[in-house]
Amino acid sequence: MKRQVRLLLLAVAIPVAALAQQRDTLRAGNLFGDLKARHIGPALMSGRINDLEIHPANKRILYVGAAGGGVWKSSDAGTTFAPIFDDHCQSIGAVTLDPSDPNNTLYVGTGETWTRNSVSIGCGLFRTRDGGGTWEHLGFDKSERIANVLVNPQNPDEIYVGVLGALWSDSEERGVYKSVDGGANWERMLYVNPKTGVADMAMDPTDPNTLYASMWEFRRTAWSFESGGGNSALYKSTDGGETWNKIHNGFPEGILGRLAIAIAPTNPRVLYTVIEAESDARKGLYRSDDAGASWQQLNNDFEITVRPFYFSRIVVDPRDENVLVKGGLSGSISRDGGKTFKSLGNMHPDIHDLVFGINDSDVIYAATDGGLYRSWDGGNTFEICEDLPLSQFYQVSVDEAEPYNVYGGLQDNGSWWGPNSSPGGVTGRDWNSVGAGDGFRVLKHRTRPVIFSEVQGAESVWRTDTERRLIKTIQPQPTAATPRLRFNWNAPMALSPNRPDRFYMGSQYLHRSEDMGDTWEVISPDLTTNDPAKQNQEASGGLSADNSGAENHTTIFTIAESPLDENLIWVGTDDGNVQLTRDGGKTWTNTVANIAGLPANTWAYHIEASAHDRGTAYVVFDGHSRGDMTPYAFRTTDFGASWTSIITDEVQGFARSLQEDYENENLLFLGTEFGLYITLDGGLSWAPFRSNMPPVAVHYLELHKGTNDLVMGTHGRGVIILDDVSPLRELTAETMGETLHFFGSSPTVMNDKGSFGGSTVSPEFVGPNRSTEAQIKYFLKSRHTFGKMTMEIQDMEGNKVADLEPGKAKGINIVNWGYTRKQPKVAKGKTFSFGGFTSPRVPAGTYRAVITKGKDTFEHTFELVYEDNGIPLEAREAKYRTTMELYDMTQQLAYMVYQVDAYLEQAEKANDTRELKKLTALKETLVVTTGDNYVGLAEPQLREKMANLYSKVSDGYDAPSAADFDNLSLIRDQFARAKADFEALKPKVKGGDTLTLVPFEEFLEMY
Amino acid sequence: MRRIIYAFTALALLSGLPMQAQTADEILGSYFENIGGKDNLKAVKGIRMTARLNQQGMEIPLEIYQFSDGRQMTVIKIQGKELKQGVFDGETLWSTNFMTMKAEKSDGETTANVKLNSNDFPDSFLDYKEKGYTVELIGKETVEGTETFKIKLVKEPLTIDGQPVEDVSYYYFDAENFVPIAVESELHMGPMKGQTQFSTMSDYQEVDGLYFPFSMTQGIKNGPSQPIVFDSIELNPTLDAAAFAFPEEVGETTND
Repeated sequence: MKRQVRLLLLAVAIPVAALAQQRDTLRAGNLFGDLKARHIGPALMSGRINDLEIHPANKRILYVGAAGGGVWKSSDAGTTFAPIFDDHCQSIGAVTLDPSDPNNTLYVGTGETWTRNSVSIGCGLFRTRDGGGTWEHLGFDKSERIANVLVNPQNPDEIYVGVLGALWSDSEERGVYKSVDGGANWERMLYVNPKTGVADMAMDPTDPNTLYASMWEFRRTAWSFESGGGNSALYKSTDGGETWNKIHNGFPEGILGRLAIAIAPTNPRVLYTVIEAESDARKGLYRSDDAGASWQQLNNDFEITVRPFYFSRIVVDPRDENVLVKGGLSGSISRDGGKTFKSLGNMHPDIHDLVFGINDSDVIYAATDGGLYRSWDGGNTFEICEDLPLSQFYQVSVDEAEPYNVYGGLQDNGSWWGPNSSPGGVTGRDWNSVGAGDGFRVLKHRTRPVIFSEVQGAESVWRTDTERRLIKTIQPQPTAATPRLRFNWNAPMALSPNRPDRFYMGSQYLHRSEDMGDTWEVISPDLTTNDPAKQNQEASGGLSADNSGAENHTTIFTIAESPLDENLIWVGTDDGNVQLTRDGGKTWTNTVANIAGLPANTWAYHIEASAHDRGTAYVVFDGHSRGDMTPYAFRTTDFGASWTSIITDEVQGFARSLQEDYENENLLFLGTEFGLYITLDGGLSWAPFRSNMPPVAVHYLELHKGTNDLVMGTHGRGVIILDDVSPLRELTAETMGETLHFFGSSPTVMNDKGSFGGSTVSPEFVGPNRSTEAQIKYFLKSRHTFGKMTMEIQDMEGNKVADLEPGKAKGINIVNWGYTRKQPKVAKGKTFSFGGFTSPRVPAGTYRAVITKGKDTFEHTFELVYEDNGIPLEAREAKYRTTMELYDMTQQLAYMVYQVDAYLEQAEKANDTRELKKLTALKETLVVTTGDNYVGLAEPQLREKMANLYSKVSDGYDAPSAADFDNLSLIRDQFARAKADFEALKPKVKGGDTLTLVPFEEFLEMY
Repeated sequence: MRRIIYAFTALALLSGLPMQAQTADEILGSYFENIGGKDNLKAVKGIRMTARLNQQGMEIPLEIYQFSDGRQMTVIKIQGKELKQGVFDGETLWSTNFMTMKAEKSDGETTANVKLNSNDFPDSFLDYKEKGYTVELIGKETVEGTETFKIKLVKEPLTIDGQPVEDVSYYYFDAENFVPIAVESELHMGPMKGQTQFSTMSDYQEVDGLYFPFSMTQGIKNGPSQPIVFDSIELNPTLDAAAFAFPEEVGETTND
């Protein structure tokens, strides 16, 4: 018996140990090292901004709290920005400076408060005391969204936090909280119920104990929105939040919705509120002139009452109680105390916040769905601030162009495509528009110049011929058999990986077209639950009807045809079905019941059909619209008959997207609401990827086959690319155990493409390009800190070609080499020879990287190949030969000038005026001896002519021209004559034979 | 170097416990001890470093001088010519203009800000309290794949466009051997204003009993960086004071 038990224990112990070992493959994302994310924006169409904060004394300083893109600081009044909150969740509710220490202390309440369907979630309250250098977390982990942070201007330890709370579920963490000890402890001062939170707060600037708070009863589901209820109210406290009273004297009758509250800084008795009420006539702007004791309705214009859940913000001019601005579709301004309004000037629609300049009310900043705008003339005209890459992608795709393009649709900013790299970097003008309204999925036809794009709810699906600039609208339409189609707001479209012209769309049915959308066939029954309780969108909105289509539900959301079988199609629905056909749509099986541990009706957000095996697929489920923030991802290897969860508790944030590696089936990428996660062991363990990658919501992942680049569509930070993930394929316990492990590399194509770089001098965002250099990649087991570690490139005969400085970090290191040698040693003259700064390229071939670390050496051979662009090999060889001839000649001339200088010195010392004169005359033909490097340029001499030709030939891509050769022969002759002249002069210089000169080789090493 | 690591291993073994919570001063104490001792460091009056900068394939040799009285100078050697940059004689900061090859003074604010660093030789952390600096241990952070202590150093406030600005930098001390492996600070002026400057240090080697990093990278955090490799470091070099003086007209500096 005892023996049996022991055996049993052993049996149990082994798999656990094996598991533990496997789980150690990669820890905590600290080893990604130089594998850094690259942000290409765009900022041309920026993204939604939730909150603005302006420094009270320094007009240059402005903070932007983005809906999904973190916190950005400008120190130049909005011209340039830097992100200062990249280690934490990126959905921002409120940004507040401590009035006592505005240079250093900043509070960030996370979680956007404009509660649209695509809104993200926050992760609590944070504070920095050093202007964003370091952040401390002050709790509110379950707050989901924070509307306001108010700091007592007379006592920085007294802080109020208005928590709006959960949107999709009940939650207790709502209401007004107060700390009297600088955020160490918090007390909830005002709470109503689990469905009602703080929409807005204000503090009397002259009496910090007087506070106003609007409470809002609200709830969103995937299929409807409810704004308003008996618990919505405006409260006032005059005792620092101890007691609160409703201040509704003059308010509309019936239940209320979302209310904004603002206090006039110049007269704290003047208050404005904008009220969402039952009766349209009683909605709108109300004013109080007695600190809330009574209210008078002033205005119920469209702009004042439109979509309270999205635009409920009023801001009063800090210098005039009768000037106020209101968020809205266009935004509006009143200069008569709220009686009448006019629209603000042209800018991106959907204005969420506004601030006036601290010294000048002509200066207005506006936070919109399309970024930050700035007015210099009191709101008549606006200009966009171009340095905020906050774009909110729903999806991205790529093509096979070189450089490849990225395609995607944006929240309220249309559909776009643009290159991942562009001369001078990726700027606004590189992007092309392929759709209006809200953009979602954008797909490029594999072989034709055709792009598919759409606007919300498949109201239009466009097929754009980019060569002929022809646009055709092609969405599936009702038929007698299928008279009513339900499309998701983010309607799914998909291309077949097997047949280039095949195009799918999903309503509640799967639609297939074999001719790029000209004709459609319905190839499924209704694949959803078709639950009528979730189809009543006309009633959505609560007190303000809001049936935009954004709540359409019981629809197909994801479509994936297997790359290995054109008849095998997976379909996921927003109401939780995972349907499979293996016969091209003739029969369908709902496999979701086979998934254990998944709550029923959880949104099937993304299906990835494996490229390795027909029976394998991954499904990512997103339950956040039911208040379930758990990440869900499952794998099947048997066509959905059984499913295994591949999520561990290392994964933070609900998941939306997954990408399988094409080569290593255990390498998976997962996009969650809080960033990118990577597993090397098929989901046994996950590591967050944080190398230049903020924990931003990753809505879509695509792996580009030609480059192995992971392209991420983020909802708040634009397109982020992780260039060449191939090193991750090699990371195993074994390779990570080596002192230094070189990663394999495919041949580097030596880039011939030239450009004049970017021409932009405007302070717009510029995305860095993908490297075209040779990259030597290796894994270091531990950081190299003490002792020497060097790297050189050698040819296969062991000759040194270049010195490179190796990376020393623990983890992945990437060393770039522009496949050039050191620049030639150039003769010393009065000025620089600019041609001599050129480093010549090495020829294509095999090279060796040699790292010396202490006593150990590590070697890696790699290939350089020429670009396949029709340039004959002989031309390349001729170019190299001539370049190196001029390179050598340049160095020989340098050595000659060194000797001439020595003889000159000697002649002077020996007072040999005759030879001194001759030597001087010779030198003047060799190098310039007068002038400067700009407009005082001297007449070029041999050095300049030689170096300029060297540089011209070296920078070319093919054989030198006949003109180059003519010039070369001229230079060659001149140099030969100069050498002969010098040789003739040498013996005549008095004492010249006593000179000791270093030999040529040694001279080259001299600085 | 080996001695240091041994000492640490022994310490860790003796205590038999994970590393205890450290204070900033303890970390700095270990740092000074490991790089050769405070007294030895204080005895250094000047330093000369020869280095190579690699800028997009172009190698640029440099010579850097720093002295305990704040004098400093970087000599760039290009095509046999020597160009002085960032020369500070204690009062005047100047550089050679690359177009005219003539000396030009830096703007008054930059000069004043550099002058504030006169007391930072050879190490900002040395007697930091006497200098009125503050040091704070922020916590542990992984940098370069390695666990580090993040220490915040606040020096005399800078003046930027007429306004006082706190001079803050963050040092990342390797938690194993207590030497800094990275430093970051915000750029306060110029077109990169608001971005974070990030440097790394490695290849610590001994020079007359003191350890110095012989390899550094400098750049923008998460952006491109340039390596600087030091070929030699000489302590207490001699240099003619005239070399620091602002020349009314610098046509050409000779290499004698």
